[in-house]
Amino acid sequence: MLRLIGTRLATSVITLFLAAFFVFFAVQALPGDVAEQLLGQNATEEAVATMREQLGLDANVWVRFAEWLGGAVTGDFGTSLVSGESVSGTLWTAFSHTLLIAVPAIVVGIGLSLVLGVWAGSRRGTSTDSGISIIALVAMSIPEFVVATVLILLLAIIAPIFPAVVLGGPGASLSELLPAIVLPAITLVIAMAAYIIRAMRSSTIDGLATEYATTAELKGLTRRRVLWRHVAPSAILPVLPVISINVAWLLGGVVVVESVFNYPGLGKLMIDSVSTRDLPILQAIAVLSALVYVSVNLIADLLALAADPRQRTLHSSQRRSRSSKEATA
Amino acid sequence: MNPSLDRRRLLTGILGGATALGLAACGAPALTLPEQAASGTARRGATLRIARPAASAAETLDPASSLSAYEYLGALYNRVVKLDRDGETVPDLATDWSSNVDATSWDFQLRSGIRFHDGRPLTSRDVRYTFRHILDPDVASPQAGALDLIDDIVAVDETTVRFVLSTPNAEFPSLLTAYQCYVIPEDSAAEIGRTGIGTGPFILEHYTPAGAGAVRVNEDYFDGRAALDRIEFSSIQDTSARVNALLARQVDLLSQTNLDNPTARVVANSAGTTVARVANAQWYTIPMLATSEEFADPQMRQAMKLAYDPNAILSTALQGTGTPGWDNPVPPELKAWLDTDREYDPEKARGILRSIGREDFSTRIYTSAYEPNFTAIATAYASQVREAGIDLRITNVAADSYYTQVWMSEPLMVSYWFTGRPVDQLLNQIFRSGSSYNESAWSNEQFDQLLDAARADTNETTRRQKYQDAQRLIIDDGADMTPVFGDRLVGLSENVVNYDEYGFEMDYLSLGLKEA
Repeated sequence: MLRLIGTRLATSVITLFLAAFFVFFAVQALPGDVAEQLLGQNATEEAVATMREQLGLDANVWVRFAEWLGGAVTGDFGTSLVSGESVSGTLWTAFSHTLLIAVPAIVVGIGLSLVLGVWAGSRRGTSTDSGISIIALVAMSIPEFVVATVLILLLAIIAPIFPAVVLGGPGASLSELLPAIVLPAITLVIAMAAYIIRAMRSSTIDGLATEYATTAELKGLTRRRVLWRHVAPSAILPVLPVISINVAWLLGGVVVVESVFNYPGLGKLMIDSVSTRDLPILQAIAVLSALVYVSVNLIADLLALAADPRQRTLHSSQRRSRSSKEATA
Repeated sequence: MNPSLDRRRLLTGILGGATALGLAACGAPALTLPEQAASGTARRGATLRIARPAASAAETLDPASSLSAYEYLGALYNRVVKLDRDGETVPDLATDWSSNVDATSWDFQLRSGIRFHDGRPLTSRDVRYTFRHILDPDVASPQAGALDLIDDIVAVDETTVRFVLSTPNAEFPSLLTAYQCYVIPEDSAAEIGRTGIGTGPFILEHYTPAGAGAVRVNEDYFDGRAALDRIEFSSIQDTSARVNALLARQVDLLSQTNLDNPTARVVANSAGTTVARVANAQWYTIPMLATSEEFADPQMRQAMKLAYDPNAILSTALQGTGTPGWDNPVPPELKAWLDTDREYDPEKARGILRSIGREDFSTRIYTSAYEPNFTAIATAYASQVREAGIDLRITNVAADSYYTQVWMSEPLMVSYWFTGRPVDQLLNQIFRSGSSYNESAWSNEQFDQLLDAARADTNETTRRQKYQDAQRLIIDDGADMTPVFGDRLVGLSENVVNYDEYGFEMDYLSLGLKEA
């Protein structure tokens, strides 16, 4: 198990490097640089030249990447080309704001979806099942910005219970942010729940059809007990990857949702930095997002290991091949 | 009023925002908006909340900078002189001004007893410092080009400042009305971007670039106390989020936001909010790059103009909210405006195309979502000129690189400026050969000479005549078409009174909230 963690950490470092590398050169390939983007219609030749010189943009691309890498290794992500503030400070503020909507969304969203998924799976074919499945499908098909807009219309404009947008920007206080996290968090729960509900539903159906579930039922256990004590816990295993992808998606800051609510999180920082070509910020966001994806996936795998003894045994490869045969059969 | 109907209309309006541009062009109900913003007595002690589109985290309160936080400037600072509604120069910090006989030296007499927000008295040295700061190459101020005729600035005495020019300019005072020319205290360049210390009707309370900020009233303002106690500014980048903030009553006014027609309809029809017009605030242009193979020939450019009717563009693309331009870039409010009757004759245009061997002329016209009306204008123009046999393919490109990749490099596109430049600056900055803002790269020696002659002419009547001759040259030979001037549709709360904005001028003194 330690070896597994070791290997995963080593590949993570390569992943992080590649993410930083590709983002750096992708931003270079975008039309326009920071000076031109900021100046817009005022981007006269002289003004652009002055600003490029002030920002040190005239240096060679490879030299700048090497310099960035050198700094990043020692934990120095530099300063934003646009605001002149330290990248780590800006990034941390935005990330903490994103956590503020992501964590409640994750807790509520995953809990609710798992329960609904088990419930739908255990009542396969009934109206409860089709009700949940249809709602999940509909929620899955509506884009987040439509959900967000409808929520704003209902709960901020018609019935002014929650604020429609955050006015304070990156400096917003916690007391301003707290009422403002509700609508974005609901939007995210709706966007994410459908995937987990559907995965959990089919996994529960599979679980209920296994021999051990039948045995337990024949042994005289109540159906309820079989479902929640025996089937549900092991049915979560195949759903873990779905959950981990959704969690990583949320922690990376959902650009569309944050823009609609003018929410000063990671996603909004990213879209603003893309439009101004603020490379140091984008680089740091790339590294952070890659880090989030890598660690969330690692945690999901470790959880799977902990929960499923079969994956830890020596014959794991043999078992896996058998089970995959069963699946194709 | 039936509330459920209102809500439904609201819902379709908001959801339809994305596709609405297309719909607006094909027969949505006519847009009816109030002609005038509400006026009345403002309540004492009120706080007004303004949402603004922040340019970027690089923005600054330094008025000279190209990245200045525009909405704060008029509240915090004053200029030496400002513009009135007719485009005439009127007093601000200066009460009188005069020039020598050949208009190469100008003296401005400043008001006495004016103090900056930090208590320092305003003197001619502050004015001298302000303009030296604007002309500093490291500041790269957008107004530096227009003012580079200044040879020397002399603080004659405490309240008299003298500008010595390298060339005569009878319109020189109008060049000091630009919004980069707000007066800052001497030696403040290093910190003015954060402190915002000026002489204006409001004093800076706090400010974060691209974030929130607030100003409070200056009790000792020389022109009387403002009606409001405070103004709170917040930055909302996304246009629909800005509109939502207004509809949810989180803000009272959306600054520098031209609502597209469907959104304006929603805002005007929602309870508690309304739409005010800033007449002819948006000067839309279609630059034909004069250096391109397509439009180097003046006859070709002539055909492109004859082939379309600006009235049709106004009624389809802007639903009538504006004024037809007839390719004259000078807005009709200005005294120097030339009233012409440019022909509209697609058959004549077709004839010209035939005579220069371009019967089947076809090219791309670029547009983008950069401004809500660009695509509607491109579409309306393309359908107009089809009658003369000109085939334009509409090419929509990304907004964030429109002004870096397309502007001044593609032969044909839709662009815009805010109106508010005095006539001399307008013609010299956007149309003179070699100016860095000359978006069509048009160059006409006769035009440049006319502008020089006008500047040297100290007789007001004959000078105006020369500016009008220059306008005629643009209409006949120029490469930058002006199809329409559009009203800016500003969303605001029904509680806002005395909202008054034109050009780059905004009345912060009377602006207020209604008595409750």
